[in-house]
Formats: sequence, structure tokens, C-alpha cells
Amino acid sequence: MSHKQTRWAIGILGTLGVATMIVLHWMVFFWVPTESTMGIVQRIFYIHPAAWWVAFLGFGIVGLCSAVYLWLGDERLDRAAVAGAEAGMVFTTIGLITGPLWGQVAWGTWWEWEPRLTLALILWFIYLGYFLVRRTTANPEQGKRFAAVVGVIGVLDIPLIHVSVTWLRSLHPEAVILNPESPMNLERSMGLTFGVGFLAFTLIFACLFLASYTVAGYEYELKLRDANPGGTQRAEA
Amino acid sequence: MARKWFSRWTTAFLLGVLLFQASPVWAQAGTVLGRQTLGRAYWHVFAAYAVMWILVLGWVVSIVRRLRRVEERLGKE
Repeated sequence: MSHKQTRWAIGILGTLGVATMIVLHWMVFFWVPTESTMGIVQRIFYIHPAAWWVAFLGFGIVGLCSAVYLWLGDERLDRAAVAGAEAGMVFTTIGLITGPLWGQVAWGTWWEWEPRLTLALILWFIYLGYFLVRRTTANPEQGKRFAAVVGVIGVLDIPLIHVSVTWLRSLHPEAVILNPESPMNLERSMGLTFGVGFLAFTLIFACLFLASYTVAGYEYELKLRDANPGGTQRAEA
Repeated sequence: MARKWFSRWTTAFLLGVLLFQASPVWAQAGTVLGRQTLGRAYWHVFAAYAVMWILVLGWVVSIVRRLRRVEERLGKE
């Protein structure tokens, strides 16, 4: 993909993402009915699971790209992993803040050390470690490899988070959309709002992931030029 | 110039979004929806959406700043 095509893709994804997000806000605050048991605070759920979905997507990319990076050593995979980890950190933070905001009203407490919440917090710390390892290792190449190992190990936490509500005694509500017994067990308008939320977050994620990956490519190209002034070596696009 | 323009529009956009989110507080006050809050949960919802926007825009700003640094370097050369 050329630089021009990449910029177009980022622009289109960003515009669609912001537009879908505005539609989501309209649906959440003016269209969808208030849930009968939880009341107004249930509206947090139109962003909370969507944030976790893109966080898992980001960390999934980290795990996959890190594993292949360790195997092939391709710099593009390392850059994709870093962009995925940035996305994962941002959206995990959103999930970790919006969850307690709901919990304070529904459970009467901001935080409980129950399996899903604890595993989710561990995931956040694992990827914080991913960035710390990259920054603090004296040899940058070694730092990238160490971070890739952390990225691969970290992704193993995701299935545990998913099954924790069914396998372990948990306070966290069970899955609504991916519940094997009654999938998509939602009123139609709520289901639609949920879907728009997932779409908006996915578009925003795709736009920012691509932007971060592209900028990392430019930075890498500059670094190569600094290391090899006058040379014609060029980073892979 | 471009940076000033960007930060002004980002701030204006953020304020617009926050005001937009606050609107249901007035729109639904006194109605059945307004009473059905399970306590006073409006600020929780408002805070959740505000946090989401702030963090996403924070990431946008960090990417734009990195891009500016690269462009400045390329401009000097």
C-alpha cells in the first residue's frame, strides 16, 4: 500500500468511525429505551463490551504478530504489535474505568477482586510490562524480542477472561451476545445499538491502528537514515 | 499554526461531545425515564462516555505529535 493510499484509508476509516460514533451517541441517549432493572446506568454497556472487544482484538494482534516476529524477525510485525498494544492499552483502560462506573451503581462497589475483574486488571499490567520491557532494555533489538515474549504470554489471559464468568464463581454478569444457551438475548433496539457500538469501536480501532502503524514506519525509516546517512536503505512500507 | 488549529478544534469537538452527552439530563428530567435511574446514575454514564472520548482523543493527539516530529525532521533535511 502506498503512502497516499494509506492516508486515504486512515481518512475514510476515521470519518466512518466518528460518524458511526455520533450515531451511537444519538441512539444511546435519545433512542434506545431505558433497561427496566438497571435503569440509566445500563447505557454504559453500549460502550463497555465494545471497548473490550477492540482491546482483545488489539492484544490478539500483539500475540499473533509477536509470535511471528520471534520466528521471522520482520520489523513490520514488531511495529504492528506495538500499534496493537497501544490500542489494547487504551481500550482496556476504557473497559477498566467504565466497568467500575457501572458497578458502583449496580453492585454498590467500585471494585471486587472477583475472577474476571482481576484477570482483566492482570491483562492491563501485562501489556504495561510490554512497553516497560521495550523501553528499559539496554539493547533495543533484545528489548523487542523480550517484549514479543511478553506479548505472546499476555494473550493467553484473554480466553481466561472470557470463560471466567462461566467456569468460576463470578460476580460479573454472564455474556449476553456470546451466551451459548441464549445468544443475542437482547431487545431489538438494544441489540441494534449494541451492534452500532461494536461497529463504531471497530472502525475507530482500525483507523488509529493503521495511523499508529504508519507513523511507526516513518519513524523507523528516519532511524535507518540516521544510522546509514547517504545510504539508500528503505523500510518496507 | 496547524498545531494551534488542531488543538482548538479538538477542544471544541470534545466540549461539544460532552455537552451532547449531558443533554439527556435535561431532555429526560421529570419524565418516567428521568425518574428511572436506580439512584442518581447520570454522572456515572456521563463520566463513562467522557473517559472514552478523552482516552481515544489522547491517543489521536499522541499519534499526531509523533507524525509532526517526523514531518519536522523531514522538513529540516
